[in-house]
Amino acid sequence: MRLFAKAGPRLRAASVIALATSVAITAFAPSSASPVESQAIAPQASVREPAIAPAEAGLRRLNEVQYARAIEQTFGPGLKIPGRFEPPLREHGLLAIGAAHVTVTPTGLEQYELRGRQIAADAVAGGHVAMPCAPKDGTFSANCARNVLGRYGRMLYRRPLKDGELSSVVALTQAGTQASGSFAKGLAAGLSRLLVSPNFIFRVERNGGPGQIDDWSLATRISFLLWDAPPDEALLDAVARGDLADKARRAAVIERMIASPRFEQGVRAFFFDMFGYEQFQGLVKDQAIYPKFSNDLVKDAQEQTLRTLVSLLIVNKGDYRDIFTTRQTFLNRNLAALYRVPAPTAAMDGWAPFTFPTTEPRAGILSLAAFLMLDPTHEGKSSPTIRGKTVRELLLCQPVPAPPPNVNFSIVQDDSNPLYQTARQRLLAHQESPACAGCHRVTDPIGLSLENYDATGGYRTHEKTALIDASGTFDGKPYSGLLGLTALLRESPDVTSCLVQRVFEYALGREARALDADWLNQANARFSAQGNRVPELMRLIASSDAIAATRPATTATAASSSSPDQAALTSLYRRAR
Amino acid sequence: MSRWTRRNLLRGTLRGSAVAVSLPFLDLFLDGNGEALANGLPLPTRFGTWFWGCGVNTSRWFPSKLGAGYDLKDELRPIAPWQDKVTVFSNFNCVLDGRPNLVHWSGVMATLSGAAPLKGGVNGGTSELPTIDCLVADYMGQSTRFRSLELACTGQSGVSYSMRAGSTVNPSEVDPVQLYRRLFGPGFQDPNKAEFTPDPAVMLRKSVLSSVKDDRDELMRTAGAADRQRLEQYFTSVRQVEQQLEHMLEKPAPAEACQLAKEPGAMALGPTWDVATRTHDVMAQLLVMALACNQTRVFNIALSNAGSNLRKPGDPVSFHELTHEEPVDEKLGYQPRATFFIERSMETFASLLKHMDGIREGSGTLLDNSLILATSESNFAKIHSVDNLPILVAGRGGGRWKSGQHISGNGDPSSRVGLTIQQVIGMPVNAWGQGAMEVTRPITEVMA
Repeated sequence: MRLFAKAGPRLRAASVIALATSVAITAFAPSSASPVESQAIAPQASVREPAIAPAEAGLRRLNEVQYARAIEQTFGPGLKIPGRFEPPLREHGLLAIGAAHVTVTPTGLEQYELRGRQIAADAVAGGHVAMPCAPKDGTFSANCARNVLGRYGRMLYRRPLKDGELSSVVALTQAGTQASGSFAKGLAAGLSRLLVSPNFIFRVERNGGPGQIDDWSLATRISFLLWDAPPDEALLDAVARGDLADKARRAAVIERMIASPRFEQGVRAFFFDMFGYEQFQGLVKDQAIYPKFSNDLVKDAQEQTLRTLVSLLIVNKGDYRDIFTTRQTFLNRNLAALYRVPAPTAAMDGWAPFTFPTTEPRAGILSLAAFLMLDPTHEGKSSPTIRGKTVRELLLCQPVPAPPPNVNFSIVQDDSNPLYQTARQRLLAHQESPACAGCHRVTDPIGLSLENYDATGGYRTHEKTALIDASGTFDGKPYSGLLGLTALLRESPDVTSCLVQRVFEYALGREARALDADWLNQANARFSAQGNRVPELMRLIASSDAIAATRPATTATAASSSSPDQAALTSLYRRAR
Repeated sequence: MSRWTRRNLLRGTLRGSAVAVSLPFLDLFLDGNGEALANGLPLPTRFGTWFWGCGVNTSRWFPSKLGAGYDLKDELRPIAPWQDKVTVFSNFNCVLDGRPNLVHWSGVMATLSGAAPLKGGVNGGTSELPTIDCLVADYMGQSTRFRSLELACTGQSGVSYSMRAGSTVNPSEVDPVQLYRRLFGPGFQDPNKAEFTPDPAVMLRKSVLSSVKDDRDELMRTAGAADRQRLEQYFTSVRQVEQQLEHMLEKPAPAEACQLAKEPGAMALGPTWDVATRTHDVMAQLLVMALACNQTRVFNIALSNAGSNLRKPGDPVSFHELTHEEPVDEKLGYQPRATFFIERSMETFASLLKHMDGIREGSGTLLDNSLILATSESNFAKIHSVDNLPILVAGRGGGRWKSGQHISGNGDPSSRVGLTIQQVIGMPVNAWGQGAMEVTRPITEVMA
């Protein structure tokens, strides 16, 4: 079984630097459990689930997509979601962690108010609100209001409303009915009130039994993990029946959720986050340099990789590591043109499955346009440093330190200098500076070996007139070109442990800490023993004790000093840097 | 007193649709000296920040001569027509005192929040203290519909240097059409319209927000400490939008310089130079009208992010990359391609001054009644230096700021500029900032 260094996952920051100075850390013994054919990772009664670092229940802001899904699940399809959302925040590698640190600004609230008002009015007017009762025109019925608001409130808050909460909304509905002379308008005011509440806009987690969040909060965690959406009515009913409190019944609930078509959207949402796809928003490449670049190509590139992942990981229940080597993907016209391959007939007006022949330089998601173009900081060229950093940070969970502030870049690049025609030549000159070398030795060899692919994903053999040298070393092993790299990545234990760490963090809304190491080690072993199947990993985490674990909220004074765990981690992290 | 006339002082073209603001602030609303409203209240001061990324070339930007009548070097030349209304600060530093120099982040946060930040970098980060615009808006933004407006010119709403402490930025408006609708759409009440009836729908909206506050106590009881702080900010936002609605229920005070613009046409957004500056121009004109119409008194404009992604169309390399990668031309002594953006940034700033100086208010102009703090995150971006940060203050703060000087800070923290602004505006602040950036001495040379 693969062992983390004792201090936990963060220590891998140190291993990156160690590698940079060519001291390979190879404390990782190969898995002792032999891979078995696909079967559920049943929590083995004999092996206890290790404890995780204690953390308070969270408060996570819904993102734009989650907000829209909540509206659709509650009121049915077809409602417009107006207004602008506040920008997401990426922290510790995930938007899901940033969402636990952001709040709502006055400008943002202005938009939530506008949005809630519009949605509520449209929902009531457009028959999206089921009315079991119909008070006479202009009159108010408290029973009717309680009934309707109680039902929709439960869906929006992802738990039943408390008496006081419901009374507050009903009172507002009454005032609104009286002011407007219309029960429908009063009801719309009540619904908009629910939509502006932090109980809707945030996923508010609450403590339940000792050391655990309550079942409503747990259902919400599981639902956003598996579906990237709030619990539906069936799941809320299951919680009300106590299904989550019983191990076997909880397993059945999770089974149903993984079998649902929503599971695909959940897996897509996870990889969207893990792979940094929010950066596609507004991504621009210079069309004068890359004539094939267009906003459509940006959408197509994302969609291609997500389709490839869904097909491999969910439909075919494949091994996660194969995402680096698979030649099976999907194409449409735009992408066929970019890759310069004949488009299958079915791709003339849509997506068609496609297998790259072995003569093509394309295998695995790193060779697809989404990865190759996703660099919002360079619009007219590829950046080996950014690509290398992306592989290290997003796929291997190895943080790369920020550049030192006093770097003198004057030696980096004078792209008119005939001596330094390729990025490799320019970056090698840069690496001669010791202040720069440490990090660039971590990022650049990976990125430079991808230089046969330009900033939109087109294939090339030369930069200017010089032949591109795509050789590299990874974990001390020499290779050539992207396909050489991805073959090595497939075998790297960091690839699978990074995925496990990210799903864990994504589910819990916080970064992995030193005290999580035992838990992550066990999850890694199980993931590997089971053949690295992503649905099984999702199931493992959704079924775990860890996803429900919490500790009591700290008092205001105690919270100002960070926990010893965090303090230890911070010092480790600093040292690693 | 002079007879009032209506003149079209500001005329711009928004993608074909003419925008004309007819001006002067009616003298009949002023007292005999033209410096205060007839009811005895002084003309309102406006405060704004204007940010450009990637600094300057020291020798081409900072004047050599101190005091009034300073010399204008090439990069500052665009402000020449307004020189007597612009104060230049040199040798004011971001004092790190052991904190990290977070590239393209520390410098701007130090000047704007009075604290060197602990987390961040070229993609943004956290702020230890609220930025000055938030403090000023808390002080004087309550009497307008919007406490402040944030604008960015490259199409990215996350480009904003306005923050409460923490990691959430006050997001920017990036689309002139959206900005127009927010300002002058259905919620706008023409301050010069004779009749006024409060809208019952607005009253109901206010009741909705007031009802949301019922959720507060229960949430505060159950949330952890860090989350309580975030919830507190959430409910502060609720209160602020509620106040906005309250303003819509009151008859607005007349503002004669206020005239409705036509909605601008849809336009492309993005970081190429011509697109970004066109966006700036249209948004600046809308902003000037928002100020003239008393919709806000506080604003923040970011021309670009700090690691500036501004770019000439067809050029593979952005301004930020150029600052690091372009060699210094030995004959010229600077990086010509990067410097293009520095010079043009100052021209863009000057265009804002022009728009603001075109609005007459009392015996002066809107610019005279404003203080605009313009700054960048670096001195010389190539090496990320945060000593001698480029800082300008435009305007006269309604006569309380002695403008038109070049003042050296001799290495003092740049937060002294922000402290001075707060005191000139009338805020009861004796000390501002954190750690080595905390200051107690205002810059008395500019205090009238």
